[in-house]
Amino acid sequence: MENLLQQLVNGVAWGSIYALVALGYTMVYGVLKLINFAHGEVYMVGAMTGYYTARALGFAQEPSGLGLAVVLLAAMATCAALGATIERVAYRPLRHAPRLAPLITAIGVSLLLQNAGQLLLGADPKFFPPLVASREALRFGALAVSNIQLTVLATAVVLMAGLELVVMRTRVGRAMRAVAQDADAAALMGVPVDRIIQLTFLLGSALAGAAGILVGLSNPKIDPLMGLMPGLKAFVAAVLGGIGSIPGAMLGGLLLGVVETLVAGYLSSTYRDAIAFVILIAILLYRPSGLFGAAQQEKV
Amino acid sequence: MPLLELERVTLRFGGLSAVSALDWRVEPGAVAALIGPNGAGKTSAFNVMTGVYAPSEGRVRFDGREIGGEPSNRIAALGVARTFQNIRLFRALSALENVVTALAAGRRPGVADVLRPPAWRSAERALRARAHELLLRLGLERYADARADALPYGEQRRLEIARALATGPKLLLLDEPAAGMNPAEKDALRELVARLRAEFGLTIVLIDHDVRFVMGLCEHITVLDHGEKIAEGPPEAVRSDPRVIEAYLGADAEAGGA
Amino acid sequence: MRARSALALAALVAALALLEWGAPRLLNPYYLTIATRIGVAIIAAVSLQLVSGFTGQFSIGHAGFMAVGAYASAALSVYFGGGWLAALADVLPGGLARALYFPLPLLAGGALAALAGLLVGIPALRLRGDYLAIATLGFGEIIRVVILNVDAVGGARGFALSAPGVDLRYEDLGALYAVVVVSVAVMARLAYSSAGLAFRAVREDEIAAESIGVPTTRVKVLAFALSSFFAGVAGALFAHSEGYIHTNSFSFVRSFEIMVFVVLGGLGSISGAVVAASVLTAAPELLRGFGELRMIIYALGLIAVMILRPQGLMGSRELDPRPWLARWRRRDAAARA
Repeated sequence: MENLLQQLVNGVAWGSIYALVALGYTMVYGVLKLINFAHGEVYMVGAMTGYYTARALGFAQEPSGLGLAVVLLAAMATCAALGATIERVAYRPLRHAPRLAPLITAIGVSLLLQNAGQLLLGADPKFFPPLVASREALRFGALAVSNIQLTVLATAVVLMAGLELVVMRTRVGRAMRAVAQDADAAALMGVPVDRIIQLTFLLGSALAGAAGILVGLSNPKIDPLMGLMPGLKAFVAAVLGGIGSIPGAMLGGLLLGVVETLVAGYLSSTYRDAIAFVILIAILLYRPSGLFGAAQQEKV
Repeated sequence: MPLLELERVTLRFGGLSAVSALDWRVEPGAVAALIGPNGAGKTSAFNVMTGVYAPSEGRVRFDGREIGGEPSNRIAALGVARTFQNIRLFRALSALENVVTALAAGRRPGVADVLRPPAWRSAERALRARAHELLLRLGLERYADARADALPYGEQRRLEIARALATGPKLLLLDEPAAGMNPAEKDALRELVARLRAEFGLTIVLIDHDVRFVMGLCEHITVLDHGEKIAEGPPEAVRSDPRVIEAYLGADAEAGGA
Repeated sequence: MRARSALALAALVAALALLEWGAPRLLNPYYLTIATRIGVAIIAAVSLQLVSGFTGQFSIGHAGFMAVGAYASAALSVYFGGGWLAALADVLPGGLARALYFPLPLLAGGALAALAGLLVGIPALRLRGDYLAIATLGFGEIIRVVILNVDAVGGARGFALSAPGVDLRYEDLGALYAVVVVSVAVMARLAYSSAGLAFRAVREDEIAAESIGVPTTRVKVLAFALSSFFAGVAGALFAHSEGYIHTNSFSFVRSFEIMVFVVLGGLGSISGAVVAASVLTAAPELLRGFGELRMIIYALGLIAVMILRPQGLMGSRELDPRPWLARWRRRDAAARA
């Protein structure tokens, strides 16, 4: 029983990271109906930014709360800029092209970033600096929650709460929801659609950057191809929750993290990666709209 | 025996009834109309008849045969053809290819297409000849090799009709065929519809919300409003029906006048 | 017309025979390998064109079907083929025995890949656009992971086409390109017939297609099955010409490469896919020095094309020599007048 609880805790910690990345996918799909394949690479850039920033500013040797904060901000800012740039350069020109074009371009950007990363940063893995000491923070009998897990959970919760606030309680957030529902109508109502889309990319990419830092803390081995699998899995999480739905992405991420951890713990860790694909296929076949999504009807 | 028969047909989307308990008959050889204000359920009725949606309740019979819930392509093969409110041509294909697709629709690509024996070649030639003839009869011959989306608007609508005719139907459903046309074009369309009935031996049902267009053309008119039938009969009767006038609320009360 | 096509056919056979005889004598092994890979790429690209460019069903797991064809054919050759080939060689001259045997693994690979295509296609075809693409991506990865876990075909070590005393490799360029030509011709003839218009009708507007009696689901399934069959044939050719296969050759990157051929050549153009596949397979091999930059150049090039010329090289038109021939004939006649 305690083992189960432990797995659940681990799963929730991973799941919150998936959720942060899934949010970026779901928000972009909501406003553009585009699957941003490059999103996983943005997350990788976040981790890499954290690594280089920590080293450059001298935080790489020992745990440091300040270091963590600085690095987090740096990663989020860098990724936000990257995401906005990708939108401007690669997706905006294709706003009115047939649906396949931006999909292919997105895949192109993803591969570009992976290979550029390998070329510029070296393909060998680097070790993320231990900004948070790996220590047991809480204990309930045999159940242990580490410092790192607490940091991950706390950061993720704060960021997700912040996003909810922005999306549900601000004018800008309302504009985002309007564009997601009907971009043309929103434009007619005076919403600056291009700017809102940019903002969506900014926010989503910033979250992915934060996720990159959190992963660096939890799993210090990072390399330029690290975004591929988690990116795909976060996408599955977004689809699971209902792509386009923000609470869906959060729930989907948590669910995926938990299921994956349980499968790896109780069945076999070699199937850990496969689980995401199996879930994906299952959702697409039985409930493509996901948990919170709305089924789409085509008007004839 | 009516060619088409709807018995208490209801179509629901979520909580909304697009069509409610519709009883309707279309006799063979008729030119009938289904009219009503926007959102009355006319296209939804067409969609049920052509298999785009299965009826939530009720039965649809064509030529005595139950077709409610059947897939569209099977209903088309039985002899029901239609055009669409928003033109749905195969835009990247030529006008000729649009028609040939309809003529060849029943056949699956197979070995003969690969080996191309003489019999295949003459069959292909015959198909193309029939397609050309159809285009000619609808005045579209000169657009045969043009991309479908390059045709002028009125011609696109005629092409959609030509394609529908290529399936050799008994019943032709035209959804807002006069939309976006000026009065001269509408007159030409009226003549075309009359000609179609005579030359192709068709039963024709039109949807339109332009009451005047329909009056001079159709013998039998059914009026829908909010998914329900509110009036039915020959043009004069429908034109002066107070419920019809009220449904077109705000529309020119003399819309039915000559 | 018949005399002209008979002439064209004779010319083609002569060219293939020349290739068969001349290639090993005139080209060094490196260029032979490139030529082989081009042939494989052409079949893969045209088969993807059929399902994506013509029928509009975007499949981004195509390498998975190639993998099925490669591994199925390789397994057949390694576990049974050695024996059959040896038996045939006892009765017939070597060349003829090999020529009779090798269609078998090709067909087996294609058939099993087609089966995989049906298993993937039938459920996945309920989905539209992006969702279908993602589902095919998922299936492609699942296929790869499954094969990776089958020890009988090598698992993580890869699979070598070797059997004691028998040469299972098939590197005859002429025969290989005969397969390429036949495959492309079959697919082109199916696509460009009046029955084949159904594929493009499904791509253009499914609802309209249904309304004129086209059985859209069956057409999509057929496109999937045909496309995966030929992907399997390409995979089988690849396996037998390389002599060794590993699932790494059939990853998503490979699927992406093939998709690049199709998109760059023009969605809906068979000749465009052939040209793009040939050029893009030959170029990186010949520009070996750019090794690490290759994928970056690909990706940048793809993004640039999508933004600047989204319809690709040929759009949806085909390379057609006939207008040129007609013009040349007219000029010739005018000169003589």
